Amino acid sequence: MNKKKHRKITKDSVTSVLYPLLFGAVIVVLWQTQILHKILGTDTFVLPLPDRIFTIIGDNMGAIMENVKATVIVSLGGLILGSALGYLLGMIAMAFPKWGAGGLTVVSAFNAVPIIAIAPILNNLTKDFSEDANTRSMIAKTLVVTITCTVAMSINAFRGFTELKPFSLDLMKSYAANKATIFFKLRVPNSLPYVFTALRVSVPASIISALVSEYFAEYIIGVGRQIRENIVLAQYATAWAYIVVACAIGIVLYLILLFAEGILLKNRRPRWKSV
Amino acid sequence: MVGMKNTNDMDNSYLNNDMSATGEIGSEITIENLSIQFPDKDGGAPVVALQNVNLEIKPGEFITLVGPSGCGKTTLLRTIADLQQPTTGSVNIRGKSPREIRKEKKFGIVFQNPVLYDWRTVRRNVCMPMELMGIPKKERTARVTKMLELVGLYDFGTKYPHELSGGMQQRVGIARALAIRPEILLMDEPFSALDEFTKEKLHVDLLRIWSKTKKTIIFVTHNISEAVLLSDRVVVLSPHPGRVSAIVDIDLERPRGLEIKDTDKFNALVSKVRNSFEGV
Amino acid sequence: MKGYKGFVLARCNVGAKQEKSRSLGKGGYEMNQIKKIVQSKQMVTFAWIIGLVAVWEIIASYVEKTKRTPDNVLPHLYQIVESVFSPDLVNGSQTAIQIVLSNAGITLFRAAIGFVIGTAIGFLLALLMNMFTAAEKIAFPYLMIIQMIPILGMAPIVLAITKDIDTSRIVIAAILTFYPVATNTLAGFKSVEKEKHELMYSLAARKRDIYKKLLIPSCMPYFFTGLKISAPMAITASILVDTLQGGGGLGCMLSQSLKHAMTIYVFWQIVFVGAIIGILSYALMTLLERLVSPNKKAKR
Repeated sequence: MNKKKHRKITKDSVTSVLYPLLFGAVIVVLWQTQILHKILGTDTFVLPLPDRIFTIIGDNMGAIMENVKATVIVSLGGLILGSALGYLLGMIAMAFPKWGAGGLTVVSAFNAVPIIAIAPILNNLTKDFSEDANTRSMIAKTLVVTITCTVAMSINAFRGFTELKPFSLDLMKSYAANKATIFFKLRVPNSLPYVFTALRVSVPASIISALVSEYFAEYIIGVGRQIRENIVLAQYATAWAYIVVACAIGIVLYLILLFAEGILLKNRRPRWKSV
Repeated sequence: MVGMKNTNDMDNSYLNNDMSATGEIGSEITIENLSIQFPDKDGGAPVVALQNVNLEIKPGEFITLVGPSGCGKTTLLRTIADLQQPTTGSVNIRGKSPREIRKEKKFGIVFQNPVLYDWRTVRRNVCMPMELMGIPKKERTARVTKMLELVGLYDFGTKYPHELSGGMQQRVGIARALAIRPEILLMDEPFSALDEFTKEKLHVDLLRIWSKTKKTIIFVTHNISEAVLLSDRVVVLSPHPGRVSAIVDIDLERPRGLEIKDTDKFNALVSKVRNSFEGV
Repeated sequence: MKGYKGFVLARCNVGAKQEKSRSLGKGGYEMNQIKKIVQSKQMVTFAWIIGLVAVWEIIASYVEKTKRTPDNVLPHLYQIVESVFSPDLVNGSQTAIQIVLSNAGITLFRAAIGFVIGTAIGFLLALLMNMFTAAEKIAFPYLMIIQMIPILGMAPIVLAITKDIDTSRIVIAAILTFYPVATNTLAGFKSVEKEKHELMYSLAARKRDIYKKLLIPSCMPYFFTGLKISAPMAITASILVDTLQGGGGLGCMLSQSLKHAMTIYVFWQIVFVGAIIGILSYALMTLLERLVSPNKKAKR
């Protein structure tokens, strides 16, 4: 049962990269040669060829970047605000555990509420926050994203603060540490992996929330909105261009997250890689 | 087909209340020149887990492998069980390789951690290996009842593992291992995680079970007193590299009870074993 | 015998309690009882909900005074409740609540189909990935990519490709469902401790048996975690797709109500019904889990 693991590791990592790349290459080939269209029963109007999509992206870089900026500001803004707020809520819940746990149950119920419902409400609520339609929409959209991120972060932060290894709290108390010291030296570092667990969920979620809330917003801007508008106008190639851009945003942000996690969580107990 | 044949025999033996009537008295094991090396991950010199082990285990013997961490005792046990391959040398169990014995499902293993399925009741946990062997339901039920009686858990059949204490869970593990009537019982530090009182009780239980069933038992532990109490022979292993330092005959009379631990002879044997370790 | 003993003990305990509280003074027992209820977990959650209701009402009152059409922004909760019971016909044939509930049924039904398909695909994929390392290597990065890209945002394009609103709904719900189910189930497979595998190995078990008796039962808690995550998402997806085109469903009614084709209270009712459905779907998954794995004692 214990085979030689040494050599297998190198071959392993090569195939881990090679297989998916080959698979992806196959898909791209199928796409460009339109075999994919035959499989799905569609045409190049609705599903344009990859080269056309990239041409459009190249030609419209300026407009695209405007929309990207709008979307990214909303999603990152909401992400940061929401995560900070969530962390704070987690702290409060930790300080008053009895109330905190119950409160967080209510908060996690928000997870089950479709954002479709929240977005329009917030749009209406924020109508008077500014004269400028663009600003109003930004605020509303950012609020939606904030709510989504707050939920994820608060639950995880609370767990991070309270799920301590056995006896670590006793150890601190034996040094007569006060609550603040315990918080900063024990609970905060302990919460870091949980923070990243939350972020792994909220980074993609913030993008989705941003895109969806753009649908309902007053001002027409943003990658998600552009996808919708272009489809309505049957400009499929442009719509696909924005879809590719949306995916790119998602991938880039997530990779940044993984990178940050790699740095900040370095030297921790490694995640158990299954045998 | 093998399962079918055994079934008829099992039925008779159950009626006769005699566990060993079907010829499942433990087999003899011959270990010749066994060496095991693990390649070093960073490309350095390989780790020698076991070096030139020679050992002959008699049928129905209770033998214990004793030593500190890194002495290779668990590796040796796992090699007999076909969970580990020898680098050089061989293990023979009544002339067959461990793999063949394993395929015949003649091993019973008890780990340090009870490894029970928490979605199955105690009865169904004990049943599980028998299901794998295709033993019919009626026979399975009969054997489970017998096994639970044997380990003293008859009233707990419908409980789930999380409702039992550590000692009880381990007893279920033993019942499960015995249910398929193995020739060889392999026990890897089964009582190490338990408290002293539970341990002593299980020692008594294990001795009783062994005297009734006459299996070959290979027991691994780092507790010298446990080794001397339970076994016919104690194999002392030392680390770096893992090797057999001594084999001590335990010529205490059977049946043994806990009171034997107070005798001079017992303590002399414990000292003898302790002094056989090299270079710890 | 046990029952009798229990009964006797209970009587003794009650006696003891009364003894104790007698020392606290008259009415001490009752106070203790009230205190216990007040401090229980349910009470805390209840208190939070009351708090939220209060906050809502405060904002609604503020809105009432400052906005021209407060109903559009944030009506009082009692107004929403009122509208639920109102017999006014909204679109000529149905009252507000009737519209909401019937469309909720439509949305739910469609979501359920996508959910079931997504679950099946997710589970099978996890199974395949566990059985064949090649499958795992191929699928793993793409699974990650699916997590990274905003699927919901692609809803319009899926609609354009499939040209059929029902198919696109099912496709999107399925995609959204299969990712959490697949990743969680796979995690469940991989969580099985080494000794359990070794036990199976020592018994020379067939692969079929290993899956049937060990791996699949082990992954059930993880599988249900995946279901709990994806059930509300499937509903969200279904509602969103509704908004893209006509044809009934909560999302369709939602956008119509927002555009004032019908009373705004339809919108508000949809908000709450949508929330309730989402929470109920989560509860349903929890219930299913309890049915399948009756031995679960603690939260995972």
